[in-house]
Amino acid sequence: MSADAAITARRRGRRKSPLGSRWTPYLFLLPAAAYIVLFQAIPLVQEAYLSFTRTNLLNPTRSTWIGLDNYVDIFTSSDFQQTLLTTLVYVLVCVIGAVGSGLVVALLLNSDFPGRGVARALVTVPWAAPGIATALIATWMLNAQYGIITQALRAIGIDVGASGILDNPQLALVAILATTIWQLFPFVAVVLLSALQSVPAELVEAAEMDGANRRWVFRVVTWQVIKPTVGLIALLMTIWSLRRFELIWLMTRGGPLGTTRTLVIDLYSQAFDSKQIGAAAAIGMVGILIALIVVVGSRFVQSAAERSTP
Amino acid sequence: MRASRLGVTARMIGVLVILGIAVFPIYWMLTTALTSDADLFAETPRLLPDLTRLHVFAEALTEGPTLIWLANSAIIAVGTTVLSIALGIPLAYALSRFSFRGKIAVGLLLLMTQMLPEALMVVPLFSLYRRFDLLDSLPGLILANTAFVLPIVALVLKGAIDGIPRELEEAARVDGTRPLGVLLRINIPLIAPSIAAAAVIAFFHAWNEYVFAVTFIFDKALQPASVGLAGFIGEQGTSTQTIMAVAFMFTLPAVAFYLFAQKYVVAGMTAGAVKG
Repeated sequence: MSADAAITARRRGRRKSPLGSRWTPYLFLLPAAAYIVLFQAIPLVQEAYLSFTRTNLLNPTRSTWIGLDNYVDIFTSSDFQQTLLTTLVYVLVCVIGAVGSGLVVALLLNSDFPGRGVARALVTVPWAAPGIATALIATWMLNAQYGIITQALRAIGIDVGASGILDNPQLALVAILATTIWQLFPFVAVVLLSALQSVPAELVEAAEMDGANRRWVFRVVTWQVIKPTVGLIALLMTIWSLRRFELIWLMTRGGPLGTTRTLVIDLYSQAFDSKQIGAAAAIGMVGILIALIVVVGSRFVQSAAERSTP
Repeated sequence: MRASRLGVTARMIGVLVILGIAVFPIYWMLTTALTSDADLFAETPRLLPDLTRLHVFAEALTEGPTLIWLANSAIIAVGTTVLSIALGIPLAYALSRFSFRGKIAVGLLLLMTQMLPEALMVVPLFSLYRRFDLLDSLPGLILANTAFVLPIVALVLKGAIDGIPRELEEAARVDGTRPLGVLLRINIPLIAPSIAAAAVIAFFHAWNEYVFAVTFIFDKALQPASVGLAGFIGEQGTSTQTIMAVAFMFTLPAVAFYLFAQKYVVAGMTAGAVKG
């Protein structure tokens, strides 16, 4: 609503006009806002407070204020450094893998061929499947003896060892990444497909008629149109990957040897396996800080990019 | 001519490969459910489902706690849907139609909720729930799920309300209808399809939810299907076929309904990140 309209609305409000008083928007807002404050904001503040205490999950009323000790502890522990590194690798590969494969799929689906509608619907199946079901079928397909992926690898001469892929410290993260990307690429493809449909077809045709090669057309025309959407999707994928829990927890619980332990997994097992909710809260705060840096940083990159393009 | 036909063939092959990758795991879930023990543990896997074994599905549903799990999931999902739509409609209306102080703060709050991992909130909510006796209760899960799905629901609905011409509302207001009346009589009927889509999003968010359910529910009779299914991992007592049959029945409705609501889900989720 423009400023003028707002002023009119307020003036009318004083005259008790049918537009309602100036409190009207707050009345509409109140239930949801109160709800979010109660179930998100207050717990978050509580969590921030907990991160400065030593608190046991089973006896939370007896907590001791220990200042920054939790933070000092986690940043000096080599386990936590491994966690940060794993998180970084996990998020980076997820984002690059999902956005890259999603873009390829979107380009493939963005053309005329028989059965296009069916193909576009079917490709979204991985994203629509519940995470629990995905974890179950992935675990079964990767089963050390009877998993079809293990058997297929064995058939082409690759032996993943008797304990299987998910128990192999070199391969577990790869398997988790592949499963995550399988789950994510349809979402990227669907979003980019709708962005691709706003690329002016005449422009592409004209360029191709002039003998420009496909790669050049993609870079100069198509990419310029979809670039903002790609940036947005990359941001979403980053935030989602930072908070992904159930897939990793159910497939490996962070193991073997902590090779798949991301921040969220570390946080949950600190809280519910070790019962140390103070330390867990500190890990959570680090995670939130990282997410904030990503979001704020992406806004900067975005506005810088807008300024540089005339 | 020849080159372009070749291009079309290559493209078709590419599409088929991708569809294969996308659908195969779900197909494999169904096939595994419909495979006899002898074939399941054979050297070479059986690649086609054995359709004479469809009784596995009936058994998986009636023997064991599957029906109770699915009923609990449905209760949680329906509750979350009703509550998040009831809270989301007025929120969406306020964000779409009014300008007011603190609008930016509300937007930031909504963005922040998208960044918070459930695994983080589970700890403070756990203490809160213990104090208010909400552990081991389905309403407790409904309350927690609603907090996480409400922002997306509100953004989907806001987008829909944005699309209604203001003239329609103004006409009603001139006739003396109060704002709540306008919302109920003009806006809600017009955005009914988006409400349906938001309901699908909320329903399956709660249907799929795992972290809160596994942490807040101890009573086996109150477990939803997500927790029950997860319990199969690493457990030896249940046959692989039964597990896969239950997993398939859990997956099918989610996939079917998401296909219907896909357009709105995508719009809502991306809008959440842009406008926040």
